[in-house]
Amino acid sequence: MAAPMAAPSDHRGKAASSGRAQGPAYVALDPAAHSRDPTEGDARSALEAAVAQAVEDLRALSDRADDESAGVLDFQIEMLLDDEILTPAIERMAHGGGAALAWAGAMNAYIDAFTDGAENTDDPFAVKTADLSDLKHRVLDVLAGRPPADFPAGSVYVGHDLPPSLFLSHDWSRGGAIALTAGSAVSHVAMLARAKGVPMVIGLGELPVTSGQTLLVDGTEGQVRVDPTEAAQPSVVVPLRTASVTQPTPWAGGDVRLSVNINSLSDLEMFDPATVDGVGLVRTEFMFRSAAEALNEERHVECYRQIVERLQGRPVTLRMLDLGGDKALPGLVDGSPGSFLGQRGIRLLLAHPELARIQARALMRVAALGPVSVLLPMVTVPEEVAAMALLFIEEAERLARLNVPAVRPALGMMVEVPAAALTLDLFVEAAFFSVGTNDLMQYLCAAARDNPAVAPLNARSETALFRLLDQVRASAEALGKPVSVCGDLAGDPAGAARLLASGFRDLSVAPARLAAIRAMVR
Amino acid sequence: MSKPDAVLPHERTGNRWHTEVEVTHGIGLHARPSVIFTRLAKSFPCSIEVAVGGSGEWLNGKSIVKVLGARIRRGTRLKIRAEGSRAEEAIVALGELVRRNFDEDRKHGRADGRPV
Repeated sequence: MAAPMAAPSDHRGKAASSGRAQGPAYVALDPAAHSRDPTEGDARSALEAAVAQAVEDLRALSDRADDESAGVLDFQIEMLLDDEILTPAIERMAHGGGAALAWAGAMNAYIDAFTDGAENTDDPFAVKTADLSDLKHRVLDVLAGRPPADFPAGSVYVGHDLPPSLFLSHDWSRGGAIALTAGSAVSHVAMLARAKGVPMVIGLGELPVTSGQTLLVDGTEGQVRVDPTEAAQPSVVVPLRTASVTQPTPWAGGDVRLSVNINSLSDLEMFDPATVDGVGLVRTEFMFRSAAEALNEERHVECYRQIVERLQGRPVTLRMLDLGGDKALPGLVDGSPGSFLGQRGIRLLLAHPELARIQARALMRVAALGPVSVLLPMVTVPEEVAAMALLFIEEAERLARLNVPAVRPALGMMVEVPAAALTLDLFVEAAFFSVGTNDLMQYLCAAARDNPAVAPLNARSETALFRLLDQVRASAEALGKPVSVCGDLAGDPAGAARLLASGFRDLSVAPARLAAIRAMVR
Repeated sequence: MSKPDAVLPHERTGNRWHTEVEVTHGIGLHARPSVIFTRLAKSFPCSIEVAVGGSGEWLNGKSIVKVLGARIRRGTRLKIRAEGSRAEEAIVALGELVRRNFDEDRKHGRADGRPV
């Protein structure tokens, strides 16, 4: 064997997602060097610039178009050049909120003004709402800009942290791994990596490596080797948790419903729909990479429709956007670890009803296609459920006026805020409950799961968690409402065993965890 | 198609010129006619406002948002008024445009109706 350029060096971190993979390093830029969200700072000038850019794009299109198309494009240009269309958006910005949200909200109100008074959908004045929607999305696309640059498939991502949106847009089918100098094993991106079977090591501190150098990531041992001397094996994804300690004894206590959690449409290919009882959780916030996508009702419908069709009649539970906390959406919501206790989940949706209404309409349109129920994230008090239920009723009426087929789905709630978990008996309006153990745990022990200094407290607070879970299950039973568990705990055989022993019979786990849990319960 | 009357009746009150014309176009001022109307309106320096039938509300005639939002259908009496430089010329040109059904039967005509 030829002598390597450099001697191999080992670096210890913490295991975040098991498996071993080798590949060339891709060293990401320092987060501070990333371009900032263009809507920060002066939102008004960002919107004006986006509108000017959209006009320029439309003019270029119109110049090349035939007469008929040019007519449609000229209409959009005139609309954008009209100060009247910007004024309501600028007024909305005065009440806070970024350019994208203000623009989408103002345009939706304008579109509603057209549809509300229309006698029927054949009205030529109503037909133009399609143009208005197109116009809205054109400006949103400019505002959102391009998604962050992807890195080569099969490489090992090295950086301070990895944004979930980048993880989700990356092609992991050709292997690869993640080596983070910071990060947390209970962060969302770690959860995504485990669900996808991508090896991941965190907390490496300084990692002296340049792009292109070969790295071997051992996500089971929590170790990274730079310039490994052994022959480069193909970056294989080793099945998860092969080093799992003791295999719990198989469950013999009766029927258990086993559903699957979905983070992206590519997850649909990771399991056989005939082998699951349904989709217990769709994290819709991971399906949209930009504000432009999240504010596009048709885009929501298209995503959800694919899930419902793939499940062939099995129930699908879609969770409304759980943005905030460490889950950002450029141009709409700034993610920051500090906002775990701030405006996230249903709090953010109720504060930005324009966004909630778009998603509610899409959910009801897809509920007309198959068995769909809806989960509300981060609910703290019963009034939040009531407010969202009202919003669904209003949007259902709006869709009915337009003769759009829609069904109002059952509204359930995530149980992940301790205040809600302790008072579940008061949530009579919720149709069902789903326990998010990841968040419930971090809120229960007051230890941020993305802060490596305190994250271990999460795992050590299991006794408190299980006492609370006993109470949650008993309250749900007293109300006669279904309760399931969709957090990472359910995907760990030992955790699942404890949940079953506590009386839970409905678990939903990541696709990569299905085999292990199924082996246990069947 | 017969040629409309040579001159659209119009009158002056103080510094303001106004006219009234019936909308005879197939549908009314939907998207495309509104584009043609507001583009022509914007080519004049004076202020231009429109009102529909008995409604007393005057709307900015250079704003497609306002014009389209007014849902000016066929058979409507459309009032147009203008004030400032070239006001008379503006209301005659706009009134004639409505009378000519926005030149929509002429594919490649100029929006203001003048020969190419």
